[in-house]
Amino acid sequence: MSSDEPRQTIYDSTAPSTDTRDARIGEGVDDRFNSKLREAFGASPFILTKFDEFMNWVRGNSMFMLQFGIACCSIEMMHTYAIKHDLDRFGAGVPRASPRQADVMIVPGTIVSKFGPRMKRVYDQMPEPKFVVGMGSCTISGGPFQEGYNVVKGAEEIIPIDIHVPGCPPRPEALLYGVLKLQERIKNGESSAVVVKPYELEEFGDLQKDELVQKLASEIDEDDLVMRYNWADSP
Amino acid sequence: MSTGTETEPEAELAEPGSETNEAALESLLGERAIARDDHLNAPGFVINPNDVQDVLSDLRDEAGYDHLSCVTAQQYEDRYESIYHMKKFADPTDEVSIVVPTTVDDPVSQSAEPVFRTADWHEREAYDLVGVEYEDHPDLRRILLPETWQGHPLSKDYDQEKPQLVTLTEHQNPIQPDHHDAESDTMFLNIGPHHPATHGVLHVKTVLDGETVADVEPDIGYLHRCEEQMCEQGTYRHQIMPYPDRWDYVSAGLLNEWAYARVIEDLADIEVPEYAQIIRTMGAELCRIASHMLALGTFALDVYGEFTATFMYTFRDREVIQDILEDLTGQRMMFNYFRVGGVAWDLPEPREEFFEQTREFLNELPAKVGEYNDLITGNEIFQTRCIDTGVLEPEVAKDYGCTGPVARGSGVDYDLRRDDPYGYYEQLDWDVITRDGADNYARVLCRMEEVEESAKIIEQCLDLLEDWPEDERDVQANVPRTLKPDAGTEIYRAVEGAKGELGIYIRSDGSDKPGRFKIRSPCFSNLQALEEMSEGEYIPDLIASLGSLDIVLGEVDR
Amino acid sequence: MSGATATPSLFPLQNGGDPVLLPEHITELTGLDQFGLAGELLATFVAAFIVGNFILAMTGVAGPWAKRKITASFTDRIAVNHLGPGGIGIIIADAVRLLAKENIIPENVDRPAYDLAPIVIAGSAMLGFAVIPMGSGIHLADPEVGLAFVFAVAGIASIGLVMAGYASGNKYSLLGGLRAVAQNVAYEIPLVVTGMSVVLFAGSLQMSTIVDAQQQTLFTIPGLEWAVPAWFALVNPFAFVLFLIANFAEVGRNPFDMPEAPAELIAGYQTEYSSVYFVLVYLGEFLHIFLGGAIIATIFLGGPAGPGPDELGILWFTLKIWGVFFLTQWLRSAVPRVRIDQLIEIGWKGLLVLSFANLGLTAAIVGVIA
Repeated sequence: MSSDEPRQTIYDSTAPSTDTRDARIGEGVDDRFNSKLREAFGASPFILTKFDEFMNWVRGNSMFMLQFGIACCSIEMMHTYAIKHDLDRFGAGVPRASPRQADVMIVPGTIVSKFGPRMKRVYDQMPEPKFVVGMGSCTISGGPFQEGYNVVKGAEEIIPIDIHVPGCPPRPEALLYGVLKLQERIKNGESSAVVVKPYELEEFGDLQKDELVQKLASEIDEDDLVMRYNWADSP
Repeated sequence: MSTGTETEPEAELAEPGSETNEAALESLLGERAIARDDHLNAPGFVINPNDVQDVLSDLRDEAGYDHLSCVTAQQYEDRYESIYHMKKFADPTDEVSIVVPTTVDDPVSQSAEPVFRTADWHEREAYDLVGVEYEDHPDLRRILLPETWQGHPLSKDYDQEKPQLVTLTEHQNPIQPDHHDAESDTMFLNIGPHHPATHGVLHVKTVLDGETVADVEPDIGYLHRCEEQMCEQGTYRHQIMPYPDRWDYVSAGLLNEWAYARVIEDLADIEVPEYAQIIRTMGAELCRIASHMLALGTFALDVYGEFTATFMYTFRDREVIQDILEDLTGQRMMFNYFRVGGVAWDLPEPREEFFEQTREFLNELPAKVGEYNDLITGNEIFQTRCIDTGVLEPEVAKDYGCTGPVARGSGVDYDLRRDDPYGYYEQLDWDVITRDGADNYARVLCRMEEVEESAKIIEQCLDLLEDWPEDERDVQANVPRTLKPDAGTEIYRAVEGAKGELGIYIRSDGSDKPGRFKIRSPCFSNLQALEEMSEGEYIPDLIASLGSLDIVLGEVDR
Repeated sequence: MSGATATPSLFPLQNGGDPVLLPEHITELTGLDQFGLAGELLATFVAAFIVGNFILAMTGVAGPWAKRKITASFTDRIAVNHLGPGGIGIIIADAVRLLAKENIIPENVDRPAYDLAPIVIAGSAMLGFAVIPMGSGIHLADPEVGLAFVFAVAGIASIGLVMAGYASGNKYSLLGGLRAVAQNVAYEIPLVVTGMSVVLFAGSLQMSTIVDAQQQTLFTIPGLEWAVPAWFALVNPFAFVLFLIANFAEVGRNPFDMPEAPAELIAGYQTEYSSVYFVLVYLGEFLHIFLGGAIIATIFLGGPAGPGPDELGILWFTLKIWGVFFLTQWLRSAVPRVRIDQLIEIGWKGLLVLSFANLGLTAAIVGVIA
């Protein structure tokens, strides 16, 4: 895909983004909240409904955060964990360094092309159900660095985000509010209709053989994972 | 001043070492200086691309320019240019710039790496972003951008709209039998880019022999936010100032802003009112305390593991400082408080309250420092962990261009606040802290003592501000709405940031935006020394050394 | 009871007449003794179930709630306070959430070692509680080699750690697992040798005898009429301190939290574990802290002894265990971690020598007195 023709999402059709969303969360209620049992029953018996409510209450009241610092926002994120603001009051203050044990990933900072695939990998390593809080303008749109040749314009290009907290950087109070809002949504069984643009990791051999791919063919192995970065492509 | 071949006969400037020094330099360089290209801050000599090592080693060994502070590369219409900004650790006002032009078709220039180790990364960056190639460089790869990147983003013909491919290469599993080669029993380990000890998104490629570190290679660029491009797109007057806050983002904002303020004020010849300078000095030192507190807290995190009491206590103190700074500037972290020619506004009203609040903090500080000394530096386990680990000899530190607490912890007496005075520092009474330990412990102690010195400076600034006559409180100089410095003016200026020498090089092209904006980041140079500090030590020492370097990835990658 | 008759019994050790152990109590209370061996077996299961749940409940309180609250109070914070009084409801929320998460089993793990490791880690610590006299009649078994048994089963955990580390297929796990083994080997010996000095005093490996030996009065504070019991921590404080240090290393807590070393090794051997497995590993850690606490309480702090009637024994015992737990959390908040080579050095060159010196000294003193 060349940058001369921006992806059609930008001007006429919303189909690509809707497709991606459906592919990720399936139709109807978000799969993250759907138990296998309910699927088996085909309907929603009273007891399962209650059970789902209980699970939502559980997930909304307790979460392990991923210990994940990127840029400026991570300093304010640490302040949110620390003495004055104490995120742990809401059962959300245990940072785990291993993504395998984390429920919520706060993305605190600018994503650049080199880090994009790594962040995707870390997100993929987290077990379901997982939630993402985008912290700061950079995770919304690239923020002050949007014009940069190396900057991904928002974390949502790569991973789905449940709550956006605006600010540069947001105050700890704002992040606290964002986390509480996320908890509230989880408790209500709501989940945002997340739009993810396909900044997917693919095997190099599967890519369309355009000019760039041919040029790099000697440097990259067929089965290496790669991510396309296209500054011009996102709005 | 791109031309000016004549040798400025008997110029009567009283600048440090100007005439005699320049004459001496000229005779030292002799035939090798093919032209002059003076910068506002230093005499500049143009040399041939294949004389670089020769000239630089002469300058270091004969003339004593032992600090290669920065390498700037840029592209003109007709040529590429690499500029080596050289200084003396003994006297940073004594500067010289070596300009190495190369043709557009064949931008190959000799590498300075064999003379100054620090040139390694600086030249890799120049190659990565601008596209100048360095002959004789041991390892000329991309440093900030992914290795599969196409084009050099700060060169003239770069098209930002072209798509790129980024790889995610995986490394092999230790259990797989073919991992061990016949020669050795080493294991390759990726530390980062997502790892609790890297303080952000740094990737350290490590080769381990058991628990011993056999080889370390920091891989940076995971936070390369194109700061130089951003600054080149902004106007001098207002649009650049917000960006420095985001280089060293651990509340060191005002220190960084001062780097830009200083360079633009020298470039446009603006005199800053004394009152504004005092406010700047006070604000900057508050930032230094906040920054050193974080350094202490995260270092404790590395040595203690998990979020322990020491870490939390430093954050408690940072909250107090951030409150004071918020009252002063209106923001907790990204202050944007300095203006070209002064500061945005006067101290907050009521002034008494501000003074009282700040004094209260200063009064409590000694007790808190005492608490840290009890908890951290006085702890015997801490001492066994930190003393004699991560040793950085002074000569090595100089070779790598280390500055700030890292250099001062190694006994290099170098502090731009004193040696190249700016602001109000010269009139105040304070000391430069140096320690001879050259290890992790010395660096921690150095920061702790600097906190106390900063408190002394703030105290004096508060006294001055309190007694300042009410009708002389000028916070800003008279600065034109648009700044357009003469085309071709070049300047490199540095201030003492929280991590060391934070310098900015600007070349103006006659418009209201810089033609080239280059940031000399202290962390970038300091981080290079990690290899030297941690090879042959254990993994925990590697982590501790990394912590004691106190890097901020926003500043390393820019 | 059954020992008096000719029928085979599970409790041949009981010293005639009064029931001492919990299974015996249960047999007697429920009349299960009529069913012979099968009845006793059932009673044993019931007793084990009660004890196991009691221990698990304690770790349940400690893991998600008490640990956070204690750490928070060291760092001037509040920590969980929204669910129930003092946020105690977080225990339910945390437990259910963790259990209900997706259990990721990475492609390159070495099964079944990967699956067994969490069970080995948690199970080994649970086994140890079988011989601990907890007071108020809660004591599952009292073999003659009680102390040796505890050390033996607690040592199994290191197999679990190295299994977890190796099987995870992760380099950080591998490093963590290897550190765990090096550390456990280095500290197991001083631990056992120091334990031996207590055995010399008590003259038996049997837990109940060790506890009984501590019931005597060491000395009476004149004027106060207050008898100081002959707890071995007071008889031989040196051994107590040695044992405490070795114990912290054995359970991998600060300043010896090498196997996990959060800032260095992500989470050490448990890096790859998620969901149920993670719960088990996490539980195992806390069980080990409590087992360490239980051993310390039993052989140094008089076991369930304390003021008031004997029925309060379990209360005192729990308090002592929690005291040790509190100490681990205190150290975690305030003490740096030593380096792996320093840790090994302290173990082999320091603690080992000191513990043998202690043993020799104790032997001499006991010999002289005897």
